[in-house]
Amino acid sequence: MSRNKNGNLVWRLLRKNISVWQIAGYALANLAGLSIVLCALRFYGDVSDTFNSDDSFVRKDYLVISKKVSALNAIGAGAETTFSAAEVEKLNSQPWVRNTGTFTAANFNVYMSVNFQGKGMSTYMFLESIPDEFLDVSPEEWSFDPSRPEVPIIMSKDYLTLYNFGFAATRGMPQISETLMARVPIKLTLSGTGGRMEVPARIVGFSSRLNTLAAPQEFIDWANRCFSPEVAAADPSRLIVEVNSPGDPAIERYMQRNGYEIAGDKADSSKAGYFLTLVTVIVAAIGGIISLLAFFILMLSIFLLLQKNRRKLHDLMLLGYSPGQTARPYNTLVITVNVTVFVLSVVLTELGASWWRPRMEDMGIAQGSPWPAVCAGALITLVVTVANLLTIRRLVRRNF
Amino acid sequence: MDRIDTITLEATLPDVFAGAEADEPVCRSEVWRRSVTLRRGENYLIMAESGTGKSSLCSFIYGNRSDYSGTISFNGTDIRSLGIAEWCDIRRRHIALLPQEMRLFGELTVMENIAIKNRLTDRYSEREIMAMLQEVEIDHKAGQRAGLLSIGQQQRAATVRALCQPFDFIILDEPVSHLDARNNGIVAAMVTRVAAEAGASVVATSVGNHLLLESPLTLNL
Repeated sequence: MSRNKNGNLVWRLLRKNISVWQIAGYALANLAGLSIVLCALRFYGDVSDTFNSDDSFVRKDYLVISKKVSALNAIGAGAETTFSAAEVEKLNSQPWVRNTGTFTAANFNVYMSVNFQGKGMSTYMFLESIPDEFLDVSPEEWSFDPSRPEVPIIMSKDYLTLYNFGFAATRGMPQISETLMARVPIKLTLSGTGGRMEVPARIVGFSSRLNTLAAPQEFIDWANRCFSPEVAAADPSRLIVEVNSPGDPAIERYMQRNGYEIAGDKADSSKAGYFLTLVTVIVAAIGGIISLLAFFILMLSIFLLLQKNRRKLHDLMLLGYSPGQTARPYNTLVITVNVTVFVLSVVLTELGASWWRPRMEDMGIAQGSPWPAVCAGALITLVVTVANLLTIRRLVRRNF
Repeated sequence: MDRIDTITLEATLPDVFAGAEADEPVCRSEVWRRSVTLRRGENYLIMAESGTGKSSLCSFIYGNRSDYSGTISFNGTDIRSLGIAEWCDIRRRHIALLPQEMRLFGELTVMENIAIKNRLTDRYSEREIMAMLQEVEIDHKAGQRAGLLSIGQQQRAATVRALCQPFDFIILDEPVSHLDARNNGIVAAMVTRVAAEAGASVVATSVGNHLLLESPLTLNL
């Protein structure tokens, strides 16, 4: 007698009482839920690169803040534009602040000369320093030794862009890359009441976080002592703040109330990113809830089914069938339905993505990989299936 | 377990009789609360009146129920210590059962009902099964749904199904209650022949119409 034919016998016995409507209802509901979850993740993956440098939902970021400069400041009146120790401390105590660093300004004159392919260029400039942990680049040569003075400088990426596209292009100067810029020898002339000195310097990195020319803290401290010994360490005029979520509306409220300004549009783009994250989480949660409810529908359906077929299950086991053999038709059913739902939801997600992607490409938004969403879907399907199989196993064994 | 040689009951009593030990029918039972050993190779007839617990006894020995006090053991092993996998093995290779209510699947044909057991054990070919059905004179019903058969026909079909496995003991709970003397003889002959070939035991219960075994050991329940 063929084994296959007889395997069908068990199926023929146990398929009775399977409610096609319940299973179809589950499949549809779970398909809807899973598709929503996958679409949310897929969409988030596609657009998040535009807002975030990394993909985690709660992401730390840095804001550079200063005080508003009013017309009165120009004539020496008006409110202070520096941050007092009390103000820094108050800022530090805000719940959204993780850490605060101060910019230390140079209290001496800096005159920079560059000799590049025979063409010289020189200008007065400024230097600042911030604590090392706030730097987004960590060059190897980031230190300063007064006995062999060479000043490493981290420069804002924006400045190089300004030079290349604003200055060099119109003045017939060569445009230079980051690597080339790092090789250009620079001469700094430092002067103050304490004397005058020439030191070599080099650009060692480019920062997209800092809108400044940064030198190591040791150098600024040393030079302030040497060239402006009589000037007491002034209050910082700019702060760098590490925050949990730069789009947090509480930050903006605080800034407005205190008359602080945030450099660049980081807060704006972060706010959009924050909003996006929030919407994604809400949509994914709705999908998750639908999937969870669907999961309970299936559990209930399985429970009823096994309850109705209790006698048959028991009789099969009286004949010597193991609980595993008896459960197999139901396991096959559950696995088939769940895998089908998963595949369909991936197909639906891809259809959705093929609809929104051309629109996003028009806006110049890069695209993410489909795999995180597919993996999440596979994981959800796996968890649901395993829970289903365990329930079936438990209920079948109860009838032994 | 390679083979079950003995089934021993020690002071076994269904829970439902607890507290009624001194009353009829427990007080004069030769099985309940006694020490009884069924040996492989012997045939037993367990005679009982209705309501004395004979179907319970069959269920206890088959691991189907455990609402009793005392012990039941196979080769000295308490059957309460057996796990699901061991019971599956015992039900496939050591103990065959014909329940009183037959437990045929009404929506399957007679042949399918037998096949669903035989596929587990690969005991007989379809031809051999047909020959057995012919022997008990229901071969013409092989393709008919079991639910449509008379009780007597169902008893014979279920007996053939119970034989579709190797066994040391075959427990038949009122196997011929709906059969006439001639069919009783036919069924008894087939069961004892198959059991004798394997050196196994037939244990049959009866409330009146006994399976026609040759000189069985009789126990009054």
